[in-house]
Amino acid sequence: MDLQYSEADREFRERARAWLVDAVPKQPRPAHGAEAASFDRAWQRKMYEHGWAGVAWPKQYGGLGLTGLQQVIWYEELARARAPHYINTTYIALMHAGPTLIARGTDAQKAFHLPKILSGEALWCQGFSEPNAGSDLASLKTRGDVGNDDIVVNGAKMWTTDAKYADYQELLIRTDPASERHKGLTWLIGDMKAPGIDIKPIRTMLMDEHVNTVFYDNVHIPLVNVVGEIDKGWSTALSTLSFERGLGFIGDQLELYERVGRAIDLAGKTRLEDGRFAIEDDGIAQRLASLKADSLAIRAMTLAHITESDRTGDPGPKGSLMKLLVTGTHKALSETVGEILGWSFLEFNGDRTEHPWTYDYLWSWVFSISGGTSEIQREITADRLLELPRAR
Amino acid sequence: MFLAPDGHEIEIADAAASFLAEVMPIARLHGAAPQSSAALRLTVGEMGWFALALSEEKSGSGLSPVEFALFFREVGRQCGPVDVLAQCLAVLLDMDDTARADLLSGSTGVVLAVGQGLRLLGSPDAVYALDVSPTGSRLLHLGETEADERPSLDPATPMRSITSLPTTAVATASGEHVWRMGQLGVAAMLIGLGEAALDQIVAYAKIRETFGRKIGSYQAVRHPCADMALRIEAARSQLWYAATALKEGRGDAGVHLDAAKHLANQAAVANADTNIQLHGGIGVTEEHTAHLYLKHALLLAKLFGAKRPLLANLLHAQAEV
Ligand SMILES: Cc1cc2nc3c(=O)[nH]c(=O)nc-3n(C[C@H](O)[C@H](O)[C@H](O)COP(=O)(O)OP(=O)(O)OC[C@H]3O[C@@H](n4cnc5c(N)ncnc54)[C@H](O)[C@@H]3O)c2cc1C
Repeated sequence: MDLQYSEADREFRERARAWLVDAVPKQPRPAHGAEAASFDRAWQRKMYEHGWAGVAWPKQYGGLGLTGLQQVIWYEELARARAPHYINTTYIALMHAGPTLIARGTDAQKAFHLPKILSGEALWCQGFSEPNAGSDLASLKTRGDVGNDDIVVNGAKMWTTDAKYADYQELLIRTDPASERHKGLTWLIGDMKAPGIDIKPIRTMLMDEHVNTVFYDNVHIPLVNVVGEIDKGWSTALSTLSFERGLGFIGDQLELYERVGRAIDLAGKTRLEDGRFAIEDDGIAQRLASLKADSLAIRAMTLAHITESDRTGDPGPKGSLMKLLVTGTHKALSETVGEILGWSFLEFNGDRTEHPWTYDYLWSWVFSISGGTSEIQREITADRLLELPRAR
Repeated sequence: MFLAPDGHEIEIADAAASFLAEVMPIARLHGAAPQSSAALRLTVGEMGWFALALSEEKSGSGLSPVEFALFFREVGRQCGPVDVLAQCLAVLLDMDDTARADLLSGSTGVVLAVGQGLRLLGSPDAVYALDVSPTGSRLLHLGETEADERPSLDPATPMRSITSLPTTAVATASGEHVWRMGQLGVAAMLIGLGEAALDQIVAYAKIRETFGRKIGSYQAVRHPCADMALRIEAARSQLWYAATALKEGRGDAGVHLDAAKHLANQAAVANADTNIQLHGGIGVTEEHTAHLYLKHALLLAKLFGAKRPLLANLLHAQAEV
């Protein structure tokens, strides 16, 4: 074991740091809505033009072909430079859809979509979940009638993040009406502008409308948009989920250390009602220190996980552990900051930029529910890592 | 000894429950801006609820802290506004009969002043701010005080801030009685809220299915529900004990109230949290009530004793046996 970065890694870090100093947008990212989407596109375009797009993508598809360790370095530098948070409207395109197409798409699909994703021209959304198919994704019912050159889709998807701004969609539907569970599903590239698509926003407790219900009324999708094989879409979906659960949250993981640091700064300059600075309170100070240890462990775990998969070429099932630890620490940090901020923590009008800590606290439930709930992550850990007998 | 509501206590609780579910159902909070409660105040006043803890010689109902707690538990179930409590507490201060009559009827309103008195919680049309501490209480006339509206996380509670406290106290009370009744009221609201959150997830866990089973059959759902039940049971028992100790004028009632408030803070916030989590995605939507419990619990947990001061009190506190 050693903690030395190679010469190439160090050189990469320096180059990234130097570029980010001037490149990071001076304006804060708009809190939500169409302005946020165009801000994200512009930032992605800028990274693309300067050769920083697609850190996780192979070189032959226009990415940087970085090792896992270098991706860690990149995200650390992004956090350090306070670059726009990477979980934004470009997330699905870059972290799921692109990698899925690289692994499973046709040459034509790759040639058309990958450059658009890298350059920020195309945003994607994920149309997997339905009202009665969330944790239990394989119970989905949205159906597709397969014809000679297209598939006609009818049904509804729920929870589709940023559907309103997306150009394309990862769409998982049931193409064999007689099928059950994982069989008979198909993974399609959906065009969000196709006739018959109707998008209805869902207002959340964060006071925003970033998630949506998407209705499909005889939407025609050409057969050339099938990724993988018709009726074998579950296997394509598993690739998508493995990208989401593998390094999907790497930015959040590494950013936590910075955020704990910001909370400690805040505690040093915020007074409690008794007049002392928050950091002078033993209870708060100890919790912050312990959160710092957790954030260091998260970084260590990320590094261990990534260097291991660089070596073996297999990311393994540890993504679930990662997500549990990150979401738990994220919430505990928000709760501690809530105590530091006192009454002003209870000021919130839905604006993420004005009330970042309260927003993050409310987000902590989105984080522990979406992308597979904490309960399901524990089940996956018990099944795949510990190989315990299954309840399901 | 019988540590549970009994006889006419139950009747009062039932009456409160049906009245409050009608006049302030939690559903009123969906999609609304933080709500002013002026109209509501008149209705509650008309039914005589603000006189709940006032002695009969002051033309109150002369009921005990136990009934008071039972009423506020129901207020909590509906995420009722904190100004209902402010109003009930304000009438306990020393003042002349006409001023008190206006408060009792709800024709003048009271907000709660917190955060060294510089933050006002409750309806913006209120005339008075009630500033309560463990050593004494003052009812301040807001008059021309300039208040700055703040965005409120909790839709049940409008918030404003002021830069200096009004100087005219129209009524005062010395000692800790009002503070203790405040603790009792808020702890009871938290208990009602924590119970409502538990009821809500238990009902859902019995109908929602994944993988061909009710989610209530998974340990990952059952165990946290059981933990919710345990937390609220402990907090509720302590609340009944504290209310009864206050009613009987026991010397250690304050210790029991501090403990009750601490347990209620914990149980309500944790139950609201788990309720959201176990609902899955639907739990984070605006139209669902799960987030309303959370947001209101966060606010109530800061009133009449937040975590750190309560724990500091409890460390060396002695309960009688
Ligand atoms: C804000 C937000 C954004 C989202 N974005 C997207 C998106 O862009 N695209 C997309 O396709 N989906 C998206 N989702 C959907 C998300 O993946 C689902 O909400 C999630 O998987 C949970 O499913 P559910 O909501 O149906 O909850 P349910 O499956 O009904 O779960 C209810 C509760 O039961 C528990 N539970 C269920 N089954 C089990 C089990 N077998 N063992 C133990 N516990 C169990 C769950 O953990 C949960 O606590 C999003 C969700 C949210 C909230």
